[in-house]
Amino acid sequence: MSAAAGTSVDIEERPFRQFVRDFTRSPGAVVALVVLTGVLAAAALAPVLSPQNPYDLTQIDILDNLQKPGSESMSGMKFLLGSDGQGRDILSAILYGLRTSLIVGAASVFIALAIGVFVGLVSAYRGGWVDTVIMRIVDLQLSLPPILIALVLLVLLGGGVDKIILALVIVQWSFFARTVRGLALVENNREYMDAARGLRLGGLRVLFSHLLPNCLPTLIVIATVQVASAISLEATLSFLGLGLPPTEPSLGLLIANGFRYMMSGNYWVSVFPGIALLVTIMSINVLGDRLRDVLNPRMAR
Amino acid sequence: MKLFVGTVLLAALSFGSGAFAQTAPTTLTIGVRSETSSLDPHWTQFPQDKQVEDHIFERLVAMDPNSRPIPALATSWKPINDNTWEFQLRRDVKWHDGKPFTADDVVFTFDRLRAGIAGAPASPAFVLANGNKQIKKVDDHTVHIQTTGPFPTMPEELAFFSIVAAHRAQGVTPSVDFNNGRATIGTGPYRFAEFRPGERVVVERNPDYWGAKPEWDRVVFRPITQDATRLAALMNGDVDIIDYPPTPDLPRLRQQNSGYSVSEIASDRVIYIQFSYRDLEPFVKNLDGSPATVNPLRDVRVRKAMSLAINRDAIRDRIMGGASLPTGNIVPPGFFGYAEQLKPDPFSADEARKLLQQAGFEKGFKITLHGPNNRYINDQAIIEAIAQMWTRVGIQTEVNTMPRNIFFTDVIRGDPMTIPGFDVGKFSVWLSGWGTASGEAVYTVRGLLESFNPEAGSGNANWGRYTNARVDSLSRKARVTLDPAARLPLLVQATEIGLRDYALVPIHFQVNNWAFKATLNHRPRVNERTYAWDVTKR
Repeated sequence: MSAAAGTSVDIEERPFRQFVRDFTRSPGAVVALVVLTGVLAAAALAPVLSPQNPYDLTQIDILDNLQKPGSESMSGMKFLLGSDGQGRDILSAILYGLRTSLIVGAASVFIALAIGVFVGLVSAYRGGWVDTVIMRIVDLQLSLPPILIALVLLVLLGGGVDKIILALVIVQWSFFARTVRGLALVENNREYMDAARGLRLGGLRVLFSHLLPNCLPTLIVIATVQVASAISLEATLSFLGLGLPPTEPSLGLLIANGFRYMMSGNYWVSVFPGIALLVTIMSINVLGDRLRDVLNPRMAR
Repeated sequence: MKLFVGTVLLAALSFGSGAFAQTAPTTLTIGVRSETSSLDPHWTQFPQDKQVEDHIFERLVAMDPNSRPIPALATSWKPINDNTWEFQLRRDVKWHDGKPFTADDVVFTFDRLRAGIAGAPASPAFVLANGNKQIKKVDDHTVHIQTTGPFPTMPEELAFFSIVAAHRAQGVTPSVDFNNGRATIGTGPYRFAEFRPGERVVVERNPDYWGAKPEWDRVVFRPITQDATRLAALMNGDVDIIDYPPTPDLPRLRQQNSGYSVSEIASDRVIYIQFSYRDLEPFVKNLDGSPATVNPLRDVRVRKAMSLAINRDAIRDRIMGGASLPTGNIVPPGFFGYAEQLKPDPFSADEARKLLQQAGFEKGFKITLHGPNNRYINDQAIIEAIAQMWTRVGIQTEVNTMPRNIFFTDVIRGDPMTIPGFDVGKFSVWLSGWGTASGEAVYTVRGLLESFNPEAGSGNANWGRYTNARVDSLSRKARVTLDPAARLPLLVQATEIGLRDYALVPIHFQVNNWAFKATLNHRPRVNERTYAWDVTKR
């Protein structure tokens, strides 16, 4: 009992140190954090680390295609993880592909979060017909599978990184809006909100300096997990041949391209990008789980 | 010892199954790449629909494995004057419901096509528009087909559509009543049994067939769109034969002891690069990304450079698993009208750069190469490889590939006759394919090289709107020249002029492959269709 009381005192005094201590109590989460940091660093440093720029068509040669891991290209470069059907170095393609996947995942979640938070807060705070209209739109969208909406959007919009981000924002914002509204409705009935209203603070100020910060921990958790699902959604879309240009493959496209060589024994084209995708998504998910445990006071006890 | 026991067991097992097979009905299961969209023979021209329909319905004129016309419901044909062909119909042919086949059915089929099939995405009705074909019944087993002028390719064109039963297809809902079996009464070697869209089509042997009795009691077409999955279905015994086996797997399947065999024949389908010839092109840009103020694709030197920059042998060896025939032609070798003088351009990046320099584009320009990613064998990989090759000579090429339905809807834009409102083509350079489905060159020269003219039925695949007065006049003349000896040089000359002008750039002819159990034999066809009677037990 006294330990619990001590903890709550700590939270008030040194929240960050307490957070770190709670977080590191799970070795799995620490490993995930290290792996994810590594993945992020590799993606950020891709142009430095890659033996080749896989998006520069003058650097790849069809005559170098489907080389085994460890073999050499005609120009003497080493294909550590082999080359794909176009003669692209798989390692370089993974590093650059990670970049695309992470940028698409993070950017789409960030924008969707911003839109969703705003709409959700307004919906909860105003209530009435505003709430009804917004939530019916959200319901409508949530009733359709995200992959279906994204497919239709990409067919209409055409391909490209910007279009994929836009499509992913459109399929994700409603999810955030619904969550934020739920959280805000609960928070809205707390005493501090009555106090804020009693002080006659402006609507926007109440929304963003009082309501939002108290919803934040849950949002961080959801956003983290959502990044992983956005990355896998992008991979699915690329796998289906929609979205990114084939000359600038993301991880999903690399896996799709390699799929056709699986039966003939050229496993490396698909397997290595697959592992990279798996590791990235898993580490984000483990991290998200741990954040939920740590940031949710009910779970902590 | 163990090995010996195993062998004996195996032998016993195979004896057992052999004895069993003699009594039980035999079933052939075919794994196909594309699903059947309709069993209405006048609904589409898609090979995946035609190959199933051809089991149930027959045409006046059929095609042999090399796409030469052979008698089917018509036993013989000849032109009786400049405007009229006479067709003798086969006697003693019965529809699947027992009613006799007569000239009335042929007349009905013509009427049905001419009235138009409401909602049909690609009806063969255009065949009747060519030469304004009119049918006249002479007696129960003779018809005359009249045209506005001489029409040498009549037999080949009549191989484009099947004859339906007047007493069953009268007043039915197009497509729907053929898919549920109500109007699916034909004269063919197989009868309709079941159609589950996306899942399977089943046909059963017609015991009263007039021709050679087919070997299989039951034939099942199963669509399996993923290449690797289709091959897996063959390997675990779900299907007996598959079309389009993935090219990376061909070497392994061809091995003697693989347990599988591969059949192979040069296809009638050429894969080519097509250009758009407008003053300005949306997908041609200067190196800095600003829109180009001229269309370099209108300069024959640029088009030639783009052809020379393509290493066709590398595409064959590195992408197609050796299964392609690099070409500079559009009509396959052996077909009537093949221009043997046309050879594939030899790969030369230096020559290509020189030509670009002469054309004033020594620094190059930017283009986007469009194409389908699930229509032709390895289409996306070919497009990516060509992008590499062009970029290397200075034409910075972006790639945009898409599923076939999206691609073809956009590329066919520009034909206000078929798609109202879509009068502007979308792309600037793209990869496409064309099968010489009629088995002779008129069809291909008219479709690809002649100027676009929907009323005359010409240029129907000339989506880039290439125009060449000399090609037009030669091709038009060939179309009305009955004497084959006089027609041949006209076609060859038209092809040579068009292709020496690089109206389009041919890459290769596809090679059609099928993979099947080693206990079977398969006779391949140039037109890619899979028929049950081509598959026999070894």
